[in-house]
Amino acid sequence: MATAIRTEGLTKHFGSVRALESLDLEVSEGEVLGCLGPNGAGKTTTIRLLLGLIRPTAGRAEIFGLDAERQTLEAHRRIAYVPGEPSLWPSLTGAETLHLLGRVHGQVDARYRDELIERFSFEPAKKVRALSKGNRQKLALIAALMTRADALILDEPTSGLDPLMEQTFRECVVEAREAGQAVFLSSHILSEVEALCDRVAILRAGVLVESGSLAEMRHLSALSVEVAFGGVPPDLSGIPGVRDVHVTGRRVRCQVRGSVEPLLKVLAASEVTEVLSREPSLEELFLAHYGPADGRRHPG
Amino acid sequence: MFGVVVLSSVTGFQSAYPTAAGRTQLARSLAGDSGLTALFGPGRHLDTVGGFAAWRSLGTVTLVGGVWGLLAATRLLRGEEDAGRWELLLAGRTTRRRAAAEGLLGLAGGWAVMWATVAVIAVAAGRSQGAGLPVSGALYLSLALVASAGVFLAIGALASQLAPTRRRAASLASGVLGVSFLVRMIADSGTSRSWLRWFTPLGWIEELRPLTGSRTGPLIPLAGLVAVVSAAAVVLAGRRDLGASTLPDRDTAEPRLGLLNGPWGLTARLARPVALGWVAAVALSGLVFGLIAEGAAQAVSGSTAMQRALARLGVRASGAAVYLGLCFVILSALIGLVAAGQVAAAREEEAEGRLDSLLVQPLGRLRWLGGRVAVAAALVTVLAVVGGIGAWVGAAAQGTAISLARLVAAGLNIAPVGLFVLGFGVLLHGVSPRIAAGAAYGLVAWSFLIEMVGAVVKANHWMLDLSLLHHVAPAPAADPRWTSGAVLVALGAAAALIGAACFDRRDLVGR
Repeated sequence: MATAIRTEGLTKHFGSVRALESLDLEVSEGEVLGCLGPNGAGKTTTIRLLLGLIRPTAGRAEIFGLDAERQTLEAHRRIAYVPGEPSLWPSLTGAETLHLLGRVHGQVDARYRDELIERFSFEPAKKVRALSKGNRQKLALIAALMTRADALILDEPTSGLDPLMEQTFRECVVEAREAGQAVFLSSHILSEVEALCDRVAILRAGVLVESGSLAEMRHLSALSVEVAFGGVPPDLSGIPGVRDVHVTGRRVRCQVRGSVEPLLKVLAASEVTEVLSREPSLEELFLAHYGPADGRRHPG
Repeated sequence: MFGVVVLSSVTGFQSAYPTAAGRTQLARSLAGDSGLTALFGPGRHLDTVGGFAAWRSLGTVTLVGGVWGLLAATRLLRGEEDAGRWELLLAGRTTRRRAAAEGLLGLAGGWAVMWATVAVIAVAAGRSQGAGLPVSGALYLSLALVASAGVFLAIGALASQLAPTRRRAASLASGVLGVSFLVRMIADSGTSRSWLRWFTPLGWIEELRPLTGSRTGPLIPLAGLVAVVSAAAVVLAGRRDLGASTLPDRDTAEPRLGLLNGPWGLTARLARPVALGWVAAVALSGLVFGLIAEGAAQAVSGSTAMQRALARLGVRASGAAVYLGLCFVILSALIGLVAAGQVAAAREEEAEGRLDSLLVQPLGRLRWLGGRVAVAAALVTVLAVVGGIGAWVGAAAQGTAISLARLVAAGLNIAPVGLFVLGFGVLLHGVSPRIAAGAAYGLVAWSFLIEMVGAVVKANHWMLDLSLLHHVAPAPAADPRWTSGAVLVALGAAAALIGAACFDRRDLVGR
């Protein structure tokens, strides 16, 4: 699969504020990359650099090998973008907005557009100023998806959508991936990223702190284990790889990093009535990076 | 600003008409002039400093004050709501009704500060250079001067509750102001129709007669109107939903796709309502100027000082052409404001993030900017020509013999002012976008102020050179100075090119 989006040492400073520091990223065709991070982490700055709306302080961004800063027009022919807070012309109706943006983009799948209007149950005759935030979001999504661009750049695209429409959005992203489109999805909704993304990049304070497939990242985090004992629980805290041991009566909860073998050996020697173990959710991965600074963060 | 008008009226009268004979002649000619009376209202005791100052300053300021009042009220009470900030306020411990009442109180506070400022200046002007105006009279004059601002603050507040958006609220209130002014004009254009004066708040303000036998009676309907309209605004604010309007609003529309094929068409579509409004306003102003030119000319000819001042400006013609020459200077300031407004509109597209939606498409920044500038330049030029045609229609209806070609040329003569403001605005928009609109408006205001003060006080010529309007010949009274016009246009174009190059390189910035 060819590379759709690539950044190399991409850096942006606003005065003394370091919004983004030397970011290296890649998104291939037919891949969905989730970009996670709290507000102010640099997600939107990255996207605006990719779109050529702001100029990098250092480094470069490429869309299908085209420089985002110098070959803007050629690059823009191949992408579509949905902003987190779509700002459109209040006096135009939805239909007029779609017509205008389609004409400016130059490439519209009219049948898909009508299908999207149907699926998102969008009312195109309403003026933009009369639309709620969720409906404006739908309009921006339809405008981007109808172009069937080779790469989709989505900046928190589901804020304001109800759960039903969010489901429709997810279906559309899956369709896009199956059609070989590349998707860059910025989000702070973890379940959305977990459901849609092949790979995840986590940004914090303008720095990429973690990047990889979900499977790879889970290995970096601990396994959650909960054990119920028939008698008094043995002391588990000295076992290699085991930490955060909490004892409640005969039940013990702990985290295991690395091999589980040392723990299993200890458990085999005791009377165990129940063992529960579970992979860390993305929430736990995320908290491992942003949560309390008690040293649980694994060096990436 | 109000203070400057009062000051210039007092000192200007003294320097232009130093002798009693000159003043008497002026009073006689002005009293007989229906055109000026229609525009400024009837003058009383015009051979005295007080009479002239009251007539002159009330005539100019009432309209400006009304516009300020309605803009301030709609901006606070509707603009904040459109922007979503009112919502945050209402989420606190307040109700819609109380928030509206507090907003109105804040505006009233601003109005009181304005009154105090004007009063201080009026008293100072009255005591200076032997003008000999009594303190109480000056205080009463200042109240009359800010009265229309108070009335239209209240009307703007009511319009904010009636209309669905700030722009529509401002248009509604402007319409009320326009009709009030028109009724006042008709009432003052003949003694038989003077009873009409009681049907417009601007007529009541006129009847206050400051400095010329003050009458306090009309204060009662003025205060009553403000109270009733404000109360209605507060009650309606409590009744309606946030973001909704009392008047029905059309939220759906059949698509009109004609213009929406690209950035140029979009700009034309977005600018259309504002542009049509300006074309109507400029055509009407031209028409009124043309209609009253003949009568006004006779008034001017009564003052030798005025003629000397005009000669300094390069005026050789006489009669109506002289008066129209001054009118076109006023129109040029208006056209400068339109150009500044177009710069503000371009900046707003970027600040609100709507420009993002276009520039993420395969569309170059320069193509978008080029479209905006082209539409704005076309609008400025059309307005200049329309002003000339309007003046010709008005003048021809009065039998004034000035050819259409001469008045259209006079119109085109002022277009460079707007084009220069546009170029200056584009330059700033490229270099420092957040201040672009303010600076463009500032340039026009500065030029107009210098021109107004400079015509009366003998200003330093360096200062006059910094005023754009100073570089425009007062056509049709003098021949248009095409070379200085061409220089202005060339400077504007060069500024615009630099601005465009900077815009192409810089970051897009929000608010």
